[in-house]
Amino acid sequence: MRSLVPIALTAAALALVPLWLSDSDFRMGLALEGLLFTAYAIAFNLIFGSTKQLFLCVGALAGVGGYTAAILADRVGLPMLLALVLAAGAAAVTGGLFSWVAVRRSLDVIFTGIITLTFSLAFQNLILGQRNLTGGETGLLVDTGAGTILREPVPAYYVFLGIVVTYLVVFRLLQRSHVGWAFRALRDDEVAAELAGVNVPRYRIYAGLVGSGMLGLAGAFFAFTEGFISASTFSFGHVDIRVLVMVVFGGLGTLLGPVLGATVFSVIDEVLIGVGQLRQVVYGLVVIAFFVGFKHGLVPAIETLVRTIAGRMGARIGTKGD
Amino acid sequence: MSLLLEVDGAEKRFGGLPALDGVTFGVDEGEILAVVGPNGAGKSTLLKTIGGLERLTAGSISLSGSKLDGLPPYRIRHRGVAMVMQTPQAFASMTARENAVLGAMFGSATGLLSEREARVRAEEALGFVGLSDRAEDPVATFNLHQLRFLELARALAGHPRLLLLDEVMAGLNDAELEASIGIVRTVRNQLGVTVIWVEHVMKAVMNLAERILVLDFGTMLAEGAPADVMRDPSVIEAYLGSSSSA
Repeated sequence: MRSLVPIALTAAALALVPLWLSDSDFRMGLALEGLLFTAYAIAFNLIFGSTKQLFLCVGALAGVGGYTAAILADRVGLPMLLALVLAAGAAAVTGGLFSWVAVRRSLDVIFTGIITLTFSLAFQNLILGQRNLTGGETGLLVDTGAGTILREPVPAYYVFLGIVVTYLVVFRLLQRSHVGWAFRALRDDEVAAELAGVNVPRYRIYAGLVGSGMLGLAGAFFAFTEGFISASTFSFGHVDIRVLVMVVFGGLGTLLGPVLGATVFSVIDEVLIGVGQLRQVVYGLVVIAFFVGFKHGLVPAIETLVRTIAGRMGARIGTKGD
Repeated sequence: MSLLLEVDGAEKRFGGLPALDGVTFGVDEGEILAVVGPNGAGKSTLLKTIGGLERLTAGSISLSGSKLDGLPPYRIRHRGVAMVMQTPQAFASMTARENAVLGAMFGSATGLLSEREARVRAEEALGFVGLSDRAEDPVATFNLHQLRFLELARALAGHPRLLLLDEVMAGLNDAELEASIGIVRTVRNQLGVTVIWVEHVMKAVMNLAERILVLDFGTMLAEGAPADVMRDPSVIEAYLGSSSSA
C-alpha cells in the first residue's frame, strides 16, 4: 500500500487544478489535454520505458481507440461503455500484434520504430481516405456523450484524472509484481534475462498489449468528452513527438516521470502561446536546454539529488555519533 | 551413475565454416567435465548450443532423455540448465541481492517463485558464494571476480541440475583462482550439480576436472581422464602448436 502513496499525492495535486482554472473553459480544455497526454505518456512509458519497444504510433493507437469508439457508438449504436471496451480492445490487439511481430522477427529498437512509424502514416491516410466512415479531412463529430457531464469541462477533467490515476496504479502494480522484475531484467540485458529464465518475448507482448489498450482507451474517452476528432487529433506530429519528449524528459521507466514531463511541457506549451509563430523555435530550444540539463530525465535527477542530500545528512549524523 | 546430458553428432556451421562438427559425448550426473582446446576450437559454441544461445545445424542435445536443442534459453533454464558467461552479465540497475532474487524467481524448474520464496533462495545462494555482506551493493561496485561469483549465485538460486561455465577463471589472480576452483568443487559436492566447464587456464583444469574433452577445429580430439588426455600426442600438438600461452 505504501507504494501507492506517490500516486495519491499526485492525484491530490492534480485534483486541485480546476479550483484555479475553472473560470476559463479554454484553460480547462488545455488542462484536460494535459491529462490526456499524461495518460498517453504513461502508456508509452510502459511500452518503451519498460521493454525498450519504440512504438512510434502512440497517436495512431489512440486513434484506433478514438475512431472505433466513435463509430461503434454513433453509427452502430452500441452503448458507450461497450464501445469504450471494444475500442481499448482494438488498440490492444493492434499494438500487441506489433509486439508479437517485433519479438518473432527479433526486431531491434530502430526497426520496431520504423514499422510502427509506417503504421502511423498508414493510419493517417486511412482516416483521410475512408471519408464515409471517418469524415476524412473535415473530421468526425461525435454525438455520443453530448448533453452528458462528459462534455462539461470540470467533470470531464475529473474523468481523465481518474484514467491517469488508474494507469499509474496499473503501472505501479506491474512494477511490483513478477512483471516488473522481468521488465527490469530485460531492460538491463536481454540475453542475460533469457539465460536467467525470463520469457522475454512474453513480457514484451504483455507490455505491448497493456500499453496499447491504455492508449486506445484514452483516445476513446477523448472522442466522447471532446465531441470531435480528426486525423490531426491523433497525428504523429501532434501526439508522438510530444509524448516522446515528455517521457524522456520526465524519466524513462519511472512511475511519475511521464506525469512530470507531461505537466511541464503542457505548461510550457501554454506559456509559449503568446510567442505566436516563434513558438516552435522556442519550444525546440527549451527541449534542447532541458535535455542537456537532465540527461536521464527529471525524476532520476531529483532522486539523485535527494539521495545526495540524505547521504550528506547521514554522514553528518554519523560523525556526530563518533 | 546415470547419464544427464547427451550430445549426439552436434554440428554448427556459420556460413560454410563448421564451428562444431560431429561432436558426440555424454555427461554423467554429478560429474565435472572440462572442455578445452585452442582458440576457435568451438568450445564456447558448444556451450552456447547447450544453453540455447546458438542453434545446432544438425545433431541433437538431450537432458535426461528429453530434447533440449531448439528450445529458447529461458526454456532450457527452466529444465535446470544454468549458464555463466565469460563476460559477466549482471543486471546493472540491481543490487547483488536483486540479481540473485531474479535468478530464483524466474530460473526455477518449478515455475515462477513468489518474491518471498525467491528472497530466501537468493540469500542461500549469496551465502554459498560468500557475497552475503555485499548483498545490498549495486553491481557497479563489483570487480570481475565478484561479478562471476554473483552470476554463479544467480544461477544457483534457481537450483539448477547442470551448470555451464564459460571460461569463468580467465583473468583472475592466484587467490581468486583458488577460490573459484574451491567454489565449483563445493557446488558439485554439496549441491550435487553437474558441471560442464570450458576453460583455458590449464592449472585449474588439471586441478578440478574429472574428465576432459579436447576440441580442435570443431571436432573432438580426445576425451578421458585429465592426466591421460594431456599426454596424448595429438592434443599436445594441437594445443601447444596454436596456443603456447596456455
